[in-house]
Amino acid sequence: MDVPKPRILTRRWGLEGSHTLAVARKHGAYESLRKALTMEPSAITQVVKDSGLRGRGGAGFPTGVKWGFVPPPEKRGDKPVYLICNADESEPGTFKDRYCIWNDPHALIEGCLIAAWAIGAKTAYIYLRGEFKFVKDRLDAALAEAREAGLVGRNILGTGIDIDVWTHLGAGAYICGEETALLSSLEGGRGQPKLKPPFPAVEGAWRCPTIVNNVETLQVVPWLIEHGAAAYRAIGTEKSPGTKLFSCSGHIRRPGVYELPLGYPMIELLNDECGGLHDGRTLKAVIPGGSSVPVMTPDEVARATMDYESINEVAGSYLGSGGFIVMDDRTDLVAALANLLRFYAHESCGQCSPCREGTGWMHSILQRLAAGEATEFDIATLRDVANNIHSRTICFFGASAAMPVQSFLKKFPEEFFGRAGVDVPDDWQPRAASAK
Amino acid sequence: MPTVKIDGIEVEVPAGTNMIEAARKVGIDIPHYCYHPHLSIAGNCRMCLVDVEAGGRGPDIACNMMARDGLAIRTDTPQVATMRRATMEFLLKNHPLDCPICDQSGECRLQDYYMEYGQYESRLSDPKVTKHKRVDIGDHLVLDAERCIACSRCVRFGDEITGTGELRLFNRTDHTEIGIFPGARIQHDYQGNLADICPVGAITNKDFRFTKRVWYLKETDAVCTECATGCNVRVCHQQGQVFRLLPRRNDAVNKSWMCDHGRQAFEAITGLDRLLRARVQGQPADLDDAVAAAATLLREAGGGVAVVLGHSASNEANWALLKLTRDNLPNATVYAVAGNDPGAWDRSDDFLMDADKNANSAGIAALMAHDPAIRDRSDLVQALADGDVDVMLVLGDDVLGRLGADGAGVRVIHVGSFRCTTSDAATVVLPAAHPYEQDATWTNRDRRVQRGRRAIHPAGDSEPAWALMERLGAALGKAPGATSAAAAFKSLASSVESFSGMTYQSLGNGGAVLASPPSPPTDDEDALETIHA
Repeated sequence: MDVPKPRILTRRWGLEGSHTLAVARKHGAYESLRKALTMEPSAITQVVKDSGLRGRGGAGFPTGVKWGFVPPPEKRGDKPVYLICNADESEPGTFKDRYCIWNDPHALIEGCLIAAWAIGAKTAYIYLRGEFKFVKDRLDAALAEAREAGLVGRNILGTGIDIDVWTHLGAGAYICGEETALLSSLEGGRGQPKLKPPFPAVEGAWRCPTIVNNVETLQVVPWLIEHGAAAYRAIGTEKSPGTKLFSCSGHIRRPGVYELPLGYPMIELLNDECGGLHDGRTLKAVIPGGSSVPVMTPDEVARATMDYESINEVAGSYLGSGGFIVMDDRTDLVAALANLLRFYAHESCGQCSPCREGTGWMHSILQRLAAGEATEFDIATLRDVANNIHSRTICFFGASAAMPVQSFLKKFPEEFFGRAGVDVPDDWQPRAASAK
Repeated sequence: MPTVKIDGIEVEVPAGTNMIEAARKVGIDIPHYCYHPHLSIAGNCRMCLVDVEAGGRGPDIACNMMARDGLAIRTDTPQVATMRRATMEFLLKNHPLDCPICDQSGECRLQDYYMEYGQYESRLSDPKVTKHKRVDIGDHLVLDAERCIACSRCVRFGDEITGTGELRLFNRTDHTEIGIFPGARIQHDYQGNLADICPVGAITNKDFRFTKRVWYLKETDAVCTECATGCNVRVCHQQGQVFRLLPRRNDAVNKSWMCDHGRQAFEAITGLDRLLRARVQGQPADLDDAVAAAATLLREAGGGVAVVLGHSASNEANWALLKLTRDNLPNATVYAVAGNDPGAWDRSDDFLMDADKNANSAGIAALMAHDPAIRDRSDLVQALADGDVDVMLVLGDDVLGRLGADGAGVRVIHVGSFRCTTSDAATVVLPAAHPYEQDATWTNRDRRVQRGRRAIHPAGDSEPAWALMERLGAALGKAPGATSAAAAFKSLASSVESFSGMTYQSLGNGGAVLASPPSPPTDDEDALETIHA
C-alpha cells in the first residue's frame, strides 16, 4: 500500500555500528534527553498522553495514562519511584524487542532516562529474559559507554539530575513477562504474579510506586520528545496512533521484523512485507499478535487492519505484541495447538488452581487428539477446561493459554472433530456453559 | 463503616473487611482454601470466586475484595456454582483421592466442598502427576505433596507467623509442590498449627495420625493451662480418652494458634505421674478417709498452719481454699508462692509460650489484692526457717520444690493432679482432676478470665480441686459453698471486686478481662498535691 512508512523505532537500524554511542549520537541519540531534562516532568507525561502512545507489550494500555497513576510526592512520602523496562520478551512468535536492543540500545537507554525523569524515578531496571544474555552484553556495553559519557548516573549532562539504569537477567520464565511476576523475580523471589490491587504504579517493586513499560514503548519516547505528539498522531489511526513493530514468522517468504504504521492492511503485510506464502500454498490461519491471542481465518485476515480496534472487531482477536504467525494449508492445526499448549503447560507458574491444573490437562487432551486417541467427549472437555480457566486466574496467563484453544475450536472445529473421527455435531457450542 | 450487599442482604462492616468475612457475618459461607483470617491474602485457590452485582467487575475472588460502599456481590447465581464446580474439578485433577487412608478424612475441605460442588461424573482420563509422599518435614509433621492443593497457607505461616520460612513452593505448572529445602527441617514450637491450617491432608500431625477417625471425636471448648498465656483449645475426645487438642480461635489471646507443648500436654492425663488415688501416710486410701485425715491434721495442728494457694489451680479452687481457710482456720496463714515448679517445661518466647508456667498467676494476684493478709514466697521461706509451720495445705503447685525445701518437720496436705516433691513428702494426698476433666476458669497473663469445660470424667478417684475444697471445708465444719463450679465462681464474683459482675454466661467463649483494682490509697501529700494540681 502506498502509505508513508515512517521509521521511528528502526531509524538507526542498519547503520554500521548503530549500537555504539558514537554512531547513535551522530544520528540524533540523546538529543531528546537533553531537551527532556529541561522540561517539567509533568510536561513530558503530557506529551506522551497527547501522542496516544499505547503500551507495546501486548495490552495496549495508554502509556501516558499509566505514568499518571504514580502517586504525587506528597502522597508517596519518602518512597522512591522505580521505572522498569520489561525486556522479558518470551511470547512465542514475538521477537521485536531483542532487535530493538540489539540494533539500537541507546534508544532504549535514552527512553528509560526520559521516562524515569517524567515519573520521578532515580533508578531504572531493564529486566531481560534469561536467554537474552547476548543481548544484555551488548546493552551493558552501551550503558558503560553512556555512563562514561555522563549520560547515565550522576549529574546527567551537567544538569544535576541523577538517574541510574541497571540491567537484570531473569532466569528464563515466560511468566516473568507479566509485570507483577517480573517484580517478584526482580525482588529476588519466585517469579509469581501478585494479586491486584494494589497495582504496581501504587505498590510495585519493593512495595514502592513502579511503572513497568515494554522496550518498544520506551524506545518511542525520545522520538515523541523530538517531534511532538501531533507528529505521532499524524501516523496510524485515530485510536491507534503511531507505528508498531511486527514480528512476522511462519510459512512466509520473508520472515522478520517490520515497522509499519498502525492501521496497515493485514493482507498487505502478508503479501508485500512478508513476501506472501510459498508457491502453491494457500492461507489457513493467522495468529496476529503473539501465540496467546485468538486465531484468525483467511477471510478475517482479508478484512482486518493491523491496529488494536480492527483485529478485535473483525476477528475477536488482539494486536497483542505484534507477533504475526502465518500458517498455510499444510499446517496440522491440532498439532499446532498441541505444540502451543506444550508451551503453556510448561510455563504456568503453578500458583492458582485453574491454570496450574488446566494447562497440563489441555495439553494432554490435545496430545491424545493429535495422536488420534481422543474422542469427541474429550473435545467438549477441552472446551470446558479452557472456558473454566479464562478470566478466573490471578494474572492474564490463564486467559493467554485458554484463548488459543477457544478460538481454534470455534473457528476450525472440523479439524478437531475430524481427528476424533466424527463430524462436527450439529449442536456444537464452542462457548457452552463451562462446567457441567 | 462501609455497607455492602451480599445476596441482597445489606451488612455494615469495618473498612478493610473482605467479602468472605462480611458474608460470614450474615450467615453466608463462601467456600475457600487459601484464605485464612490470620495470614496474608494469597488469592490462589480461586474457590471464593463470586459474581459482582455492583461496585466492581466480576467474577472476582471474595478474599481480596475489600468492603466499600456500593459493593454488592452474589454467591447464589448459577455462574458461581459453575465456577466452584470447575475449581473443584481442577483441584481434584491430580489429587490421589486416597481418603480411605487419609487422616484428614472427615475434616477435609476437598470432601466438604465436593459434596456441594462436585462434578460426580469424572472426566479425568489422563494419568495423575506423581509427587513426593511421606516426607518427614519435622518432629511432629509428615508431608504428602500429592494431596496438596498448593494453597500456600503453610508457606505463609512459616514466613509470617514463625518467621522461619522452611517451606516453599517448588517447580511449576501441575508439578508444583510444597516442599522443604534440602537438609532443612521444621524445628519451631508451633508445628501442629501447620497440620491445622492445611485444608487438605497434605500436612498431617504425626502425633495424631492413624490414631482415630475424626468423626468419632467429640470436641469440648477448654483452655490450655500449661503457661500463663491460656490458649483457647478444643479437646477432641472419645469415650473418656483425649486424642488431640486443637487451637480454638480467640483473637485476643492466641488467634488461631497454639504451641506444640500445649498441644501434647493432654498426654499427662494418663501419664505415670498422675495422682489417681488418695494417700494417707504413703498408703492408698479412700477419698473420704483422706479428707477426714486432712481435716484432723489441720484441726489438731500443734504449731502454725500454712495454706498455700495454687498458681496453676483454677480461680474456683483458690477461692474455695481461701474461703474455707478464713471460715474454719482463723489462725492459719495464707501464702502464694510464685515461680515455676522444678522440672516444668522451660521453653518460652515472645509469642505464645510464656515464661510463667502457671495458668492462674493473674488470678492469684487478684486474690492478693482482695485479701492483703495473703503472704508471699519470702514470708513462707521465713516461716519454714523459723519452724513456725506445723501443717501445710498445698493446692496443686510443687511448693517444696519451688522453695528447694525438704519439708522436714512439716506435715503436708497436697491437693494436686501430679506427683512431685511436695506430694512425695505429703502426709495426705488428695487427687485433683486435670483441667480438661473439670469446669473451671483461669486468669491469663492479660488478666483475661477464661472458662474451660469438662471434656472427660476425672480419672481414678480424682475430683476437681474446688470439689475437694468443699469436702474438706465440710469436714472442718463450714463448707465454702462450692457445690458446683458455677456456684464457686458466683461466690468469687460476689466477693472479689475485680471479678464483680462476671458469670459463666457473661464469660462466654472468649473470656472477659478483670476489672482494674482501684489505685491504692496514698498518704504521700506531695503525691496528692501533684495529682490535684
